[in-house]
Amino acid sequence: MPSLISRRRVLQGVLASVPSSGILANQFLGASLSESAEASPAETVRILMPAPLADATAPAVRKFNLRHRDVQIAVTRGPLDTETLSDLATSSLLLGDSPFDLLLMDVSWTARYVAAGWLQPLETLLGDDALAGMVPSARLGNAFGGHLWRMPLSGDTALLYWRTDLMPRPPRDTQELAAMARALQDQGKVRWGYVWQGRQYEGLSCVLLEVLHGFGGRWWDSQTGRTDLMSAEAHEAFHWLTNLVRQGISPPGVANFAENDALQLFLTGEVAFMRNWPYAWQLIAQENGPVTGKVGVTPLVGAPGHQGGGTLGTWGLSLLAGSPRPMGAARVIRWLTGTDVQRDLVRSQGYAPTWRSLYEDGSLQESHPLMEVQSQALLHPLVRPLTPLYAQISDVLQRQGNALLTSTLSPEVALARAQRQSELILRAAGASTDP
Amino acid sequence: MSADLLPLLWMAPALLLLGLVFLWPWVHYCWLSFHASSLLTGLATLPNGGANWQRLLQDGRFWQDALQTVRFAGVSVGLELGLGLLIALLLHRPSRGRGLLRALVLIPWALPGTVMALGWRWILNDPHGPLNALIQSLGRSPFPFLTSPSTTWAFTVLADVWKTTPFVAIILLAGLQSIPRDLEEALRLEGAGHWTVLRRLQWPLLTPYVSLALLFRLAQAFGVFDLIQLLTGGGPAGSTESLASYAYLQAMRFLDFGYSATLMLATFLMVLVLSLLWLGGMRLVGARR
Amino acid sequence: MMRLLLLAWSLLPLLWQLRASFLVGDALVGQGAAIHGSPWTLQNYRLVVGGDPSLAQVLFNSALLGLVTTGLTLVLAVPCAYGLRHLKSRLQPAVSAALLGAALFPTVLFFLSLLQLARWLGLANQLLALSLPYAGLSLPLAILLLRAAIADLPPELEDAARLDGLNSWQRLRWIVVPLLAPSLASTGLLVFLSSWNEYPIALTWLSRSELLTLPAAMGRIASSSVYTIPYGPYAAATVLGSLPLLLLVLVFQRWIVSGLTQGAVKG
Repeated sequence: MPSLISRRRVLQGVLASVPSSGILANQFLGASLSESAEASPAETVRILMPAPLADATAPAVRKFNLRHRDVQIAVTRGPLDTETLSDLATSSLLLGDSPFDLLLMDVSWTARYVAAGWLQPLETLLGDDALAGMVPSARLGNAFGGHLWRMPLSGDTALLYWRTDLMPRPPRDTQELAAMARALQDQGKVRWGYVWQGRQYEGLSCVLLEVLHGFGGRWWDSQTGRTDLMSAEAHEAFHWLTNLVRQGISPPGVANFAENDALQLFLTGEVAFMRNWPYAWQLIAQENGPVTGKVGVTPLVGAPGHQGGGTLGTWGLSLLAGSPRPMGAARVIRWLTGTDVQRDLVRSQGYAPTWRSLYEDGSLQESHPLMEVQSQALLHPLVRPLTPLYAQISDVLQRQGNALLTSTLSPEVALARAQRQSELILRAAGASTDP
Repeated sequence: MSADLLPLLWMAPALLLLGLVFLWPWVHYCWLSFHASSLLTGLATLPNGGANWQRLLQDGRFWQDALQTVRFAGVSVGLELGLGLLIALLLHRPSRGRGLLRALVLIPWALPGTVMALGWRWILNDPHGPLNALIQSLGRSPFPFLTSPSTTWAFTVLADVWKTTPFVAIILLAGLQSIPRDLEEALRLEGAGHWTVLRRLQWPLLTPYVSLALLFRLAQAFGVFDLIQLLTGGGPAGSTESLASYAYLQAMRFLDFGYSATLMLATFLMVLVLSLLWLGGMRLVGARR
Repeated sequence: MMRLLLLAWSLLPLLWQLRASFLVGDALVGQGAAIHGSPWTLQNYRLVVGGDPSLAQVLFNSALLGLVTTGLTLVLAVPCAYGLRHLKSRLQPAVSAALLGAALFPTVLFFLSLLQLARWLGLANQLLALSLPYAGLSLPLAILLLRAAIADLPPELEDAARLDGLNSWQRLRWIVVPLLAPSLASTGLLVFLSSWNEYPIALTWLSRSELLTLPAAMGRIASSSVYTIPYGPYAAATVLGSLPLLLLVLVFQRWIVSGLTQGAVKG
């Protein structure tokens, strides 16, 4: 087996070094290509991706398909909403005969899919050191239980967007952030101070994770495998977030905001700060609207004396159990997560790369100033609880967090409820493992 | 009984499919509800006694959703009945183009619920939706319809009422049209107005129709799913989550099939008990008459 | 006046969709900046028809599945209703009551069991296999409607045919079915509508995008940009997905109403 893989790898290296050969062949063969393809049927590797990423990787997929005759990639555009995408993948896997070989997964799904037995380990296909060249934080959440389950394609962490035309420098901590926002609102320069994601969905869990850690608290104790939401720091964090809305720094509508809503409002020029993912940078630049050219980016800030950090929101490819073409799929993974594609994705979409070599690439840093901030942010990434029960735990936190923003519930009560409900879930799970 | 052999043969294929679709799920859920089948068993199915049912009793979210579902069904079906009666009376009055009007009124009922749920999400969008455009053109600032639990709930009910009132109206219209015209005319000759005619003649004769429409709608509203899933996703803060959407979440997102089956079985039983109570109540009312 | 109000209530949400479907994205979710050129466009329609999955394909799937479901339901329901009509024993009211109970039940609750069924029988990702659960779920109502219609037929007709030596199959085929035509049409329309609109089962049985039906495809219609919710394309899909139903309702209104009301009268 290993010798076969290495031979393929050599072959692939050769092919990659003469990228024009495939294209040339195509031009010469012209119309007869489809016939010859029928004669020696190519293996088609099917990938399910969320629609935006399917669009973003389309050029890379096209390039691969032109270069390779024996393996072709077919991408299915899944739903926009990532949880709906997971539902779709889930039902296809539950039904058995899944029409997909690869799934582009959010980092928070990995533990769940592994526990369900839906993924094939990748280390036998890609080698034990497949992640070795990546920056440390991009490696998180991909390998556990002695296996490699997922190859990250992007190393995104959430960032703080600020308006360079309204302030000389970005805030250094949460206190400054609130004060600067308030001052700008009072001067009538912006309608709202800070927009983020407060809808009852996964994005809110990321926001909550960030404030919890930004105030020195935490969501999850990985030592005991329990949630840890009853600390004084957690209370402080939730108070700060709630007050953003209750004091009018963030609009009440933030309780129904996802990333796109926040960005839409930020683009109107009526907001001083925004929490969002790196891809927003590119969209702001393309928009050519009132804020274009007036936006800076910085890592998310913590409370005074605490380290802030952004949630790690990477996307990565996993091989579904039962895929009959692991070899072809491995080649596709290697291509799509490789440095060439990631370099293109930085340039066209602003997705943060995972390879260390790209962060050290001077020309890339010059053409894409965000890289510097991204590599800083990647020094303090926040990882969501690594447990198969993550979806349940996160759902509990989202509901309580959203209740906090849409009612007069006190942070203490919300946290106590989230803690109690999480414990119930974890205990019920414990009961069913050892009956 | 032997005379029934041939008719039963006629019925056999349909009964077979009915059994598969309607009876088998009960058996399956009953069995599954006494098993652990979740991520922690690696999706294998292992007996776990009554643990799922025990969990159900302690699960505040189940009881909250049950309450929300009952409240949603009660309020929206009540509104549908009132509005449906109004529309039925309007359609009952002879006029030109009545057929076309009846067809146009039916349209919301015929459209896919999923499609219209997304439509409502656009209409209620803050701040760009048409309803907010209307508000803004009146010089007011846009209203976040889907942000607070109470307004979100109200608009979910509204969307459901909009879609299913035509069904109730058409059933009630059939009831109205089954009442002989001369009875109504006789009453009117005695000088009775609309209200008296409705109260003394039409409403009593409509009772069986009302009862059927209500029974049908209540059971359907109890299983509300498409609308919740696509309009609110159960939010804000879980305030619009229904039992069906909770059961779906447990199965498809949390992969806890044992508990999901328990939830669905519990919902089954609630629908069953409520329907029987309703039928019993109607029979009692009927007997008293 | 009241009629106008009623029309506005029924149609306004749809007209808003119609309007949105012809507007460019910036006009829908304007950034406050002026829109260059006309705000009207056919872009949304182009996007959904040319998209993946193409709406044309989706509508074709829905129509095909609806027709097969309707056919299968009627083929099963007619003999069943006929048999039910001729049951002599106390089984008849029992079966009728059970059917009424089944017709009332919220069918979304069956999705997990039906998913399991699809897995065991290998029916996943086969468009026409969906007609099995759909027909099963529509059967109670269809049987009840047709049984009522058969009960309305004059019994002399069948008696005369029996004297002529026709067996029960021939009587059903040549006497009963032709007389049932109007009820078959109205029942068929109701079955078709419910198949066209079904969501949870289609959501769990189909994952290949080229097989999706309209309700399942709605969630997959994406916009050309990451940060706008694709309301324009949604609206265009709503309009195109509603048109066939609008036509059905306008043309066959009488039959649909009679189907609904027959259920009410005889149920």
